[in-house]
Amino acid sequence: MIENKNESMNENIYVPFPSVLKEIIPHTQKEWTFRMSYRDAKNVKPGQFFEVSVPKYGEAPISVSGIGDDFIDLTIRRVGRVTDEVFKFKAGDSVLLRGPYGNGFDTGLYENGEVIVVAGGTGVSPVRGVIEALSKTADAKDKHVIVGFRSPDDMLFREDLKSWAEKLDLILTVDGIPEGSDYKGNIGLVTKYIPDVPIRDLAAAQAVVVGPPAMMKFSVMGLLQKGFKEENIWVSQERKMCCGLGKCGHCRIGSTYVCLDGPVFNYVDSKEMID
Amino acid sequence: MGYVLSKEAFDEVLGKLSEDFLLYSPVRKIGEGCYTDVDVVRYDFVKSLDEIELEAKSNYAFKELLTPLSQTLFFFTENETKEADSDTRDVIIFLRSCDMHAVKRLDAIYLENKFADPFYERVRKRVKFALIGCGHSFENCFCVSMKSNVTTDGYLFSLDFDRDAGQVSCDVKDEDIAKLFEEAGASAADVVPSSVTENDTKVTVPDVVPNAVYKDKLWDEYTARCIKCGRCNFVCPTCTCYTMQDIFYTDNGRVGERRRVGSSCMVDGYTNVAGGGEYRRTNGERMRFKTLHKIYDFSKRFGYDMCVGCGRCDDVCPEYISFANIINKVNAAAKAAAAGEGGAQHD
Amino acid sequence: MSKDINTKVLKKNAFRYSKVRGETASRIRIPGGVINAQSMAKIAEVAEKFGDGTIFLTNRQGVEIPGIAMEDIPEVNKAIQSIIDDSGVNQAERDKGYPAAGTRNVVACPGKRLCPFGCFDTTDFARKMDKMVFPNNLHVKIAFTGCSNDCAKVRMDDFGIIGMTEPQYDPSRCVSCEQCIKYCRIRSVGALSLVNGKVVRDTNLCIGCGVCVAYCPTRAWTRSKEHYFRLVLLGRTGKKNPRLAEDFIKWADEQSILDIVKNAYAYVEEYIDPNALEGKEHIGYIVDRTGFDEFLKWIMRDVKLNEKAEVASRVYWSGKHYDRSNELK
Repeated sequence: MIENKNESMNENIYVPFPSVLKEIIPHTQKEWTFRMSYRDAKNVKPGQFFEVSVPKYGEAPISVSGIGDDFIDLTIRRVGRVTDEVFKFKAGDSVLLRGPYGNGFDTGLYENGEVIVVAGGTGVSPVRGVIEALSKTADAKDKHVIVGFRSPDDMLFREDLKSWAEKLDLILTVDGIPEGSDYKGNIGLVTKYIPDVPIRDLAAAQAVVVGPPAMMKFSVMGLLQKGFKEENIWVSQERKMCCGLGKCGHCRIGSTYVCLDGPVFNYVDSKEMID
Repeated sequence: MGYVLSKEAFDEVLGKLSEDFLLYSPVRKIGEGCYTDVDVVRYDFVKSLDEIELEAKSNYAFKELLTPLSQTLFFFTENETKEADSDTRDVIIFLRSCDMHAVKRLDAIYLENKFADPFYERVRKRVKFALIGCGHSFENCFCVSMKSNVTTDGYLFSLDFDRDAGQVSCDVKDEDIAKLFEEAGASAADVVPSSVTENDTKVTVPDVVPNAVYKDKLWDEYTARCIKCGRCNFVCPTCTCYTMQDIFYTDNGRVGERRRVGSSCMVDGYTNVAGGGEYRRTNGERMRFKTLHKIYDFSKRFGYDMCVGCGRCDDVCPEYISFANIINKVNAAAKAAAAGEGGAQHD
Repeated sequence: MSKDINTKVLKKNAFRYSKVRGETASRIRIPGGVINAQSMAKIAEVAEKFGDGTIFLTNRQGVEIPGIAMEDIPEVNKAIQSIIDDSGVNQAERDKGYPAAGTRNVVACPGKRLCPFGCFDTTDFARKMDKMVFPNNLHVKIAFTGCSNDCAKVRMDDFGIIGMTEPQYDPSRCVSCEQCIKYCRIRSVGALSLVNGKVVRDTNLCIGCGVCVAYCPTRAWTRSKEHYFRLVLLGRTGKKNPRLAEDFIKWADEQSILDIVKNAYAYVEEYIDPNALEGKEHIGYIVDRTGFDEFLKWIMRDVKLNEKAEVASRVYWSGKHYDRSNELK
């Protein structure tokens, strides 16, 4: 086998870099946020993703759910071989990453004026950074956020939800509740709340939609019916991504590589994309 | 510089070349086809003209050297990641004109498309080409329609072998190699590599494929006929997809490797995401995805069609599905859609 | 003139004893199941000229031409000479028809000539076998089938030869598409599994059918250069104890098969019941009498088995024994 460490290793874009796991923030049994040290965090955009690389187990594309001064948050759902391993890591461990990849959201677009964010389930992760930025704007009351989870037990970012509720117009809802639940909040799909969101200038208002495919489809329909302009709607697409580098081909839709050209797309483009 | 020389003299040239290059060419593998005592022609390393299969179209393409079916990228030891070793010798790949055009497509994906792939780049730098003249079209070829039938440069030398006369004609582009031909006693001549001027199979690639064609009922036929085996992809000289694969050795759980293996958009699992989502379930959808990439989507991104018309997909399909026929069906559907005729549509 | 026919001679000359008095049927032997179209036309011609205009296709790939008047036998024998020439059947004297009918037509499925799963040229081997054993009066049934699917139903014969290939695996060409695993499970025995992204073959379970090779899209699986055979022994139909043939050797080579069958004839010559009705006795009943060990000793005499061959140390047959009980349970 190979004895000499190849000198070109560090230039090889497939070689991951080590990052120290600073903290684990559990949300549900299956969804935890891993806070990873990352020196260049200020150049990372919400909506971009990293490949979390676990030698001998594989790699998984994970979108950036939070950006700090010297860290990034990766909120990971435990769904398979790689993520099972990631859940074994402890604070202080070194974790291998590649990235950031993809375009990410242009938060500057949403700074001024009215914005609506519709997010469902783990779809909250890629827009968490966007919502965070919105909550810090001067006109935060014009920022409307509809967040939906399957049930109260599936809620992510509970602390954030509390702080967002104080700063901007947050509608938190669940699809349904289990029997005997003492949950008192909204029940219903996110689409139910779109019509009542007060928007003054529909021609200028921006919208961000992220979540499972069906949820995105109907949310966009709701926004269009409400009078949003197609070019003001932004979505983030999830596809199989082995490389993040436009090589493996799995994420391609038509002439678009989700890993290179996305995962964030303007609706004008994304509506033309047929899997 | 053109040269004509005997078979023996040409072998002398190959012998000299072998000192500096590995020679990679189509080779007839006796009895290694799908069925009993059926041969397969695929690429392997050779040393002499006799080993090179010049009569038949290769069933599998040359790309296996540039993008191996299974390639180890890294080895993992307990604390370290080490890059897998790669051969450092230069290679001359013997290929036909259609495949020369395919190289450009592989380069587009692996050297361009925002990032250059270091593993591909490394092997690509070692590779030179020798053009196999194509005196006649094979079954299922449609290189003329795809404009890949003629290659005028990009090769060190060409090779046309007149078996009856025992004579090899070569158009030599490289001066150092021309010296080898002269040393072997080749006589100068005007040589133009033979090329195909007409195929029985002809296709018309549509300029624009309206979205209506994506939902056309024409794809349903393939949901029923295709068995999603992916042979069309694995034999294709321009298919580049792969899947990453990590493993640990069962006899020693502490070491393992990361490799990539060839992947097919027709085969199950291609679009599956963690948690169970799948984006193209039916074989018809997969056929549409593959077809439009070859004749439309790639072109939108890179400016020329991906398909080079080698027809290997049609040669290999166990269900007798003709890709050339699909292209023509898409063209008809695209025309109908553009004319507002609609055609049979799904909701 | 009243008929004076030696039925023993008639039967030995491959003419049927018919229930229709005075009529017979010519039994055309087609080892390996393939003849050229001209022979088929000749059969039709004989049926039109001497028979009743019909042709019966037998269970063992032969052809019978019924409705022939017994006095036409010499003429029919002359007429079918071209068919005998075409099928390459051994003959004692030209224009005299077949010299024996005891050893039945050697059957073969289409094999590798047509079938994607056929592991060898069944017709070719059947003809070679026929050349070796025919003519012979012993009642022996031999059949060849291209793969373990056994479309030729060789397990109903005394000697069933089943084609095998030893799958060769090149991990460097494997992309873990798992189609071999899937089709081995569905079409065969499920001998394959994926370990670390590569396929592992359970060599004990693998029956050498070649399904993995046929379905591999990359040529990671190929066939062994050598053709191998499974030899199954002493299956039979019949009134007393019908039973399926049992495995005797797997991964055997061609020569060993030929030698074993040849030896078996010598064994039968030695031990057949001298009073057997019409000289016919299924080999299995002889083995019951002599014991399997004696049979084994005879058939393996001077056989140089190839290295890969695996021989059963003991063979047991089952099947219904009607001579003991006819009860339905």
